[in-house]
Amino acid sequence: MPEIVKTSAGLTLKLDEQEAGILRGLTAEMRLLLEADVPREDEVIKRLFPPAHEDESEQQAYEELVGDELRRVKLEAMEAVERGLQEEGAASVELAEEEADEWLRLLNDLRLAIGTRLEVDDTKMERPFDPNDPEGPALSVLHWLGWLQGAMLEEMAGDPRAE
Amino acid sequence: MTETLVAPERVDEHSTDEISDPDKPWLVIVWNDPINLMSYVTWVFQKLFGYSLAKATKLMLEVHHEGRSVVSDGSREKAELDCYRLHAHGLWATITRSD
Repeated sequence: MPEIVKTSAGLTLKLDEQEAGILRGLTAEMRLLLEADVPREDEVIKRLFPPAHEDESEQQAYEELVGDELRRVKLEAMEAVERGLQEEGAASVELAEEEADEWLRLLNDLRLAIGTRLEVDDTKMERPFDPNDPEGPALSVLHWLGWLQGAMLEEMAGDPRAE
Repeated sequence: MTETLVAPERVDEHSTDEISDPDKPWLVIVWNDPINLMSYVTWVFQKLFGYSLAKATKLMLEVHHEGRSVVSDGSREKAELDCYRLHAHGLWATITRSD
């Protein structure tokens, strides 16, 4: 399990080789998704870049205003996580507040992407693990990312306990 | 005589709205989704809007149980910025004119 400790400077996050490897793979997939010319009708793209307005002309004006900014901040968060993970082996990352924010956002985008692809609803989210379930492995990753995100938030809310 | 003299017979609905009430506030709505963690949604409300843990939790529970919650309001510009920041954090948010 990942080790997460709040320090006076922020968070220290330690992932073993396998955990870091899973995150590297997912982060690389997120890069593809954000950089490739994915159709706007793609369900994951629709979830990561939702409309602000119901009205079409209002939405068009909003998109002109926002431009590519949302994609840019998502790429930045992804790159911060890539830097922290480095290229191979286990990872030990020191996260100042802004970097912890980037990690939380990237972890959330990964969960949104996986959850949307799986078309999860409350029932599917609560489904117990079944080795014969073809969606079992993806659901496990979804829950593991949620555990990591939740543990980071819990630690951030508490008192520093290590230097 | 039914012909109007000064007032226009017909106006575009959109422009009437803009002219009659330019300060009409806009609402920022967050919608429920089955993926985002409750603790994450609460943290985002605290971080983006400076809400207390109690207020952020109340709004998160509204989203969770009622399917949606108005999390902020203001001018169109402010509502669009708030909505954009919520999207940057992966929350499903939209804005609408207040009725």
